[in-house]
This record gives sequence, C-alpha cells and structure tokens, in this order.
Amino acid sequence: MSIRKCAENNTAFRRLNDVYRNREKELLIFRENGGKVVGEIGCDVPDELVIAAGMLPVRIYADRESSLEEADKYLELSFDPVIKAQFEKLVNGSYNDLIDFLAVSNSTDVIIRTYLYLREIKRIEPDKLLPPVEFIDWLFTRKPMYKTQNEKTVKRFWETLEEWSGRKITQEDFIAAAEICNKDRAALRRISELRRAHKPRITGSEALVIIGSAFFMHRSEHAELVSQLADDAKSWPEAEGVRLFLTGSAQESAELYTLIEKSGAVVVGEDHDWGDRFSSRDCNLSYPPLQSIVDCYMLRDFSSKKALVSERVKTLDEAVDASGARGVIFYINAYEEAASWDYPSEKKSLESRGILTKAFVKMSYPVSANVGLEDKIREFTKALGGV
Amino acid sequence: MNERKNAANEPPRARKSLKATAVVSSYQKEWFTGLRARVEAGEDFAYLNADVPMEILRAMDIPFVVNQWWAAICSAKRMAPKYYGLLKEAGYRDDLCSYCATALAESLDPDDKLSGPWGGLPNPTIAITRLTCDCQSKIFELFAANHGAELYVMENTVPRSTPSKWWELAPDRWEDLYDKDRLDSAVEDLRELIAFLETKTGKKFDMKKFIEVMELVNEQEYWYKKTRDLIAETRPAPVTVVDTINAVMPAQWQRGTRWAADHAGSLYEEIKALADEGRFAVPNEKHRLMWLGRGIWHDLAFYQRFEEKYGAVFVWSMYLAMGADAYIRNNVQSDPLRALASRYIGMEDFLHMPPWNSEWFLSEARRNHIDGVVYMVPENCMQAVEGSYFIKKIMEDAGIPVLIFKADPVDAREWNRETMTGLVEDFIETRIIMGGNK
Ligand code: SF4
Ligand code: SF4
Repeated sequence: MSIRKCAENNTAFRRLNDVYRNREKELLIFRENGGKVVGEIGCDVPDELVIAAGMLPVRIYADRESSLEEADKYLELSFDPVIKAQFEKLVNGSYNDLIDFLAVSNSTDVIIRTYLYLREIKRIEPDKLLPPVEFIDWLFTRKPMYKTQNEKTVKRFWETLEEWSGRKITQEDFIAAAEICNKDRAALRRISELRRAHKPRITGSEALVIIGSAFFMHRSEHAELVSQLADDAKSWPEAEGVRLFLTGSAQESAELYTLIEKSGAVVVGEDHDWGDRFSSRDCNLSYPPLQSIVDCYMLRDFSSKKALVSERVKTLDEAVDASGARGVIFYINAYEEAASWDYPSEKKSLESRGILTKAFVKMSYPVSANVGLEDKIREFTKALGGV
Repeated sequence: MNERKNAANEPPRARKSLKATAVVSSYQKEWFTGLRARVEAGEDFAYLNADVPMEILRAMDIPFVVNQWWAAICSAKRMAPKYYGLLKEAGYRDDLCSYCATALAESLDPDDKLSGPWGGLPNPTIAITRLTCDCQSKIFELFAANHGAELYVMENTVPRSTPSKWWELAPDRWEDLYDKDRLDSAVEDLRELIAFLETKTGKKFDMKKFIEVMELVNEQEYWYKKTRDLIAETRPAPVTVVDTINAVMPAQWQRGTRWAADHAGSLYEEIKALADEGRFAVPNEKHRLMWLGRGIWHDLAFYQRFEEKYGAVFVWSMYLAMGADAYIRNNVQSDPLRALASRYIGMEDFLHMPPWNSEWFLSEARRNHIDGVVYMVPENCMQAVEGSYFIKKIMEDAGIPVLIFKADPVDAREWNRETMTGLVEDFIETRIIMGGNK
C-alpha cells in the first residue's frame, strides 16, 4: 500500500488533514465557546505567549481563489502574491468574524509594510473594521544587544496579550504553554526524522499537512496527534524516489509538493516557515521566560529573509546534508527577492559537494499558474537519476 | 510670497548649473583623488549605505564613500548597463535592487581601475550597512567579500508611535519623536559601532570632535532650510530640482566638515542673489511640480522637458527638503550620541513610512505652492514601497493631482524617455491645466 493510503487510513492523520483543509473550523468552535483568537502574520510571533494567555494562535493564510481588489488598491506592485492575498482577506473583511486580534512580526520587509499599511488604514479609514494590531519588532542580528532589546520587545507583547485577554499571564502559565509547544515541536521533529531516514516513511506532502495543521488548532491536541502519527508511520511503506530538498518561498498548500512527488521525487526536507523550520528549536525552560522566548525564536536556523548570504549558505548546507537530499529546488515567488541574492553562493557551495540545484524564480501564485513547471521539475528529477 | 512680476524686459533666465554645483562636483573629484592616495598609503576606507550614521566616521577621520551616491555617479557615467551585465554573468539576477547593487556589480569588473568612474572605487577595508531591508546586508556582504573588506551591520527598528508633524519636533523635541526603547537601542548600536571602528582602525573616537561635527551638520542644514524656504516663497523659482539635487546630494556626503557647511552657505547666497536680481530658472513658470522618489540619475534632463512647453517646473525634491527638515538637532551637547540616533533612525521613518512621509509631503507641497506631483515608484525595491496609496490620497484629497509611474533611478535599460515624457505631458494637460489648479 502507498504512504498516501496509509495516511488516509490513519485516524490521527485524518484529523490533522481535516483541520488543514478546513482551517476555520477549530477557531470557530473556539470562539463559540467564548475563546479569543489571535491571527498571526510572520513566522516569529511567539505562540507560547498567546497560548499562555488562554487564546488560540492561528496563521493568516492566503486564499488562492479570492479577488485582489482591496490589495491592488492599497499595495504596490512589489508585494509578493501570497502576502497580497493575505492582506486582501484582512482588509476585505474575511477575517472580521474569525479573529479578535492580529499579531505581526517583522519577519520580512513586506510584512513590515503590511503592518504599516494596516495601521494607516485603521487611522484614516476606520470603517474598515480591522482588529487591534500588535507589532513585534525583533532585532535579528546576533550582536551583544539583541538579547536585552528583544527581551523588552517580548515583554511588550506579553503585556499586550494580558490586555487583550483580560488576565495576567503568570510564569506558570508560560511554562505550561511552552511545554505544550516543546512537546509539539519534539513530535514534529520525529516526523522529520521519518522523512530524512534512509528509507523515508513520510513524504513531503503529508509532512506539510502534519506541520501546517498546527497553525489552526489547539497545540496540545496537535502534539498528541503528531506523536501518535510518528509511532504509526514507522510501519508505513518506504517512499520511492529521488531525494530532494526544497528552499525558498513558504508553501501554504501542498500543491508544489504534489508536483514534485509526481515527477518521481520525494521531498525529504525544507527550510521555509510552513515546513521543518517551524519546529527546529525549543524554548529552553531553564532560562527565565523572556530569555527563553528570545533564544527560541532568534537562534533558530536563519531564514532567507533575515540573514547574510554566508549564514544562509551554511544553514542550507547543513539542512541539506542532514536530509540526505541529492538535489535542491529553489522556488521563489515573484517579488520575494531576498533569497535571490543568496542563490548563486548557495548553488556554488552545494554543487561543490555534488548536490545539484534548480532555481525557479519570479514564480506566479498559485503554483498551478506556472505553465510548464511540471515538465521542468520532471527534467530536474530525471537529471538526478529519477524515473 | 515673494512674487516677482515680469519686468518690461524679459528677466534673464537663470543658469541651469549653479556655481555651487560646479564647485561641489570638482571638490568631490579632488577629494576622491585624495581618498585614493590615503587608501594607497594603507589607511582604512569605509563604504557606507546612505542611512548609516556617517557622522561617527567623520569624527574619527575615517574616509568613506556612500553607496547610493556612488551609484548615482556610476549611473550618470552610464556604467549601469555594463555593470548589470556583469551581475548576470556571475549568476545573479540583473533586475533586482539596481540602486543598491551598482557597487556590487562594479566590484565584479576586472577593468574597474581603468574604466570605472573617477578611476574606479578604491578597495574599501570596511563595509557598513543597516538592516533597513532584507537585501541590503546580503548585497553588502557580497560586495565586502569581493573587496576583501570587513562587513558591519546595524539594526533598524519600526516606529510604533507616530506623532504628527515630525518635522516640527525633529530639531528640538527629538526625544518626543520616538518610542524611548528605539532611541535606547540606537544609542547602543552607535556605541557598538564606535567600538568596532576603534578596534578595526586603531583610531580613537573623541566626543569633542564629534560634537563639532554635529554642530557643523547643523550649520550646513540650516542653510538648506533657508534655501528650501526661499525657493518655496519665490515665484517663479530661482532654481529647479536639477540645480538643487546636484548641489545638495554630493555635499551631504561631506556633511560635518567646514567645507560642506560653507558650501551650503554659498549655495544659499547664490540662489538668494538670483531671486533678488529677478533671475528665474523658468521665467514663464506656470505650474510648480513636486518630484517624489529617488532622482533619475541617468536622465536628469528629463526634469527640464516640461519647462518650455508648459511652464511646468520641478521645484521640489526630497534631497533639499530632507536637508532642511530632517537633519538639524539642537542641544547636541545634552546627549550627542542620542541626538545622532534621533537623526539617523528617523530617515527611514520620515521617507518611507506613512503617515510620516505622506503628511510631510503634503505640508511641503503646500509650502511650495505645488500644482502637481510626479511620483516615481521603483518596482524592484521593497524599501521604496512607502505607501503610495496613502501619499496619493492625502495629496488628492487636498486638491493636488498625483501621477505615479514606475521607473528605476539608476538603471536606464527600461527607461523610455519619450513614453515617460508623454505620460507627464498628459498629466500636466489633463490633471493640472484642464483639472484646474488647487
Ligand atoms: S499502515 Fe499498514 S495497515 Fe495501515 S494502511 Fe498503511 S500499510 Fe496498510
Ligand atoms: S530592496 Fe531597495 S533598499 Fe533594499 S537593497 Fe534592494 S534596492 Fe536597496
């Protein structure tokens, strides 16, 4: 039986898949029961704190079908298509009945702009009914001052969450929430081990569902399910195909993965924010809470948006090595330019160690809008010795 | 308003190039020759992004070149097509970040010392940039590696509070302009920069010298303020943006020196004399235009194309106006590093963030009696994405029409002068002339 069939027959996976596909389902139930939901843009919003405040963190995501009427009105051309679609939903009211608050981290330039624009729309066009917004302005360099300044930033977010939730967040609340998140990350790392194993038992498209469902449900339930799944999947059949690693734009759906798998490859790892990077580092609970959060979010693997070329080369080399991939696909959406500056150096370093690369840049959104992509991926897989 | 009626005999037309412009460009070249000699003698030489607090290096007597200004020189020398070709050959995209990547591209040119502008860029030993966008530090790191220079990056933060009329608060009440923690971290960043430079160059930072530099900057910018006010009040205008951009931008590079302060004074005196003598840039001035965005370095003559036919004159660009409003910091002695912090962190806010930028542009448009705004938005730079919707809205709600178009400040390859001219002509005819003035 195929891995896909095994997954479909697995109770834990079915539940995760249901949440992944119906991303509003859990938050609506949560709200009906009087809970408050915090929408998040950017991958550096500390979920632990939101959970410690008794609220549900959910990711704002793009709706590939929706028109871009509002986004086109407010945003310049150089906003990448995914953030554009997210912005559209925030401004056109799609989120009005779904989230109570919005937390934005400065994880990349467009997101900073998104925050500024939302703030300005709230100010000059108050009838737009945007939720209260908090901005989390991390310092990303690891210079001596990053720690103290970032701790102040986290403290501010902590206080805002107390205000939003109407209750104090105690140290115990934080520890309990961080333990849940650590448990979830540990379970997700077991999934990545199964992907990276000599004989992979989970393919990339399943992994995306497993990781991405975390963004839309109770983290404790997610941790239980993933842990169960990691046990179950040990006996799943082995995935066939050329081992590939994916880097570049975050993939909010499994569309690209499905294309790659169809070409006869298996995605054994990725470093985007809807993939493995999400679970790469825990909160160290031997530190005081603020330090623990700064350590967890700021000392993760470097993202392509907030790192030097050399840092990215090293991070990617290590991740690819750990995955045992033979080839790397760089997939970069139009106007998500930063990673393009890394690419030539990354390619050089990878190829010097016998790992082939293929870059797809200025890609349209959604993935299906790129004519001929499937053939090009197949060619690459074939060049690597795939079917 | 210092309105001057056309006398019976046509007033003489103001010269296109001011003495002050010629002076600054020959000074720059001479200075650059001196720089080359210092570098060849083994001194440290820094390459900085424009938003780096260069006053620190000035006070420490570390010579530096500023990235965007050097890019403007490369572009004016028509080097860009060659340079972007080199980027492409090296495997980089040639359609990204043209403004900031010009010097990186130049660093790939094996013939730079023979055919580069002014004999090419000497090899820097230090490259400093801020993290004001995702790409900048990457470009600087690659540039530094090509030159064998050491890279240093500085942080950037985003304003949470946005008090209105920053330009009124900036000179004296700069402490009220920012969230306190932003200033705190910027001061700490400055201290770290100083420590880095001291270790790297062996030169000592001297607070007294630094205060002198800050005072000289104040003096220079004071003259820009007077110049800006004079142009705003004088109709027809004594000079256009072609004069002011070319006189101010290179002199800002030298800010903090006696020479630059004196030059700014002479610029004012020269323009004042033109105004007093009734010598106008465009005697038939009918419509005053504002230019938003970076300069079109590869075609500065573009700005003058609408003068004869329509009497439409570009009288405003950010280059002079930022000097007038964004730099002056009084009471420097009270806390010199904090005063500098309050200057350099604001640049990004003032220029690229609504409502700081939009409110200022409107205030400047009113002060300068602007009839229409031409606004260049580059497609390949996220930092220059600065809320064009909000800028257009605030202007047009105030009755000032805005034309937005896409173009690149340094890359001439996509620039079609005729198409662009047509766009602006159409705008002048339909929005300014037929639409009536404010
Ligand atoms: S896990 Fe085993 S029994 Fe279940 S579907 Fe897969 S192969 Fe069949
Ligand atoms: S995004 Fe803009 S500011 Fe940043 S490096 Fe590119 S051109 Fe420069």
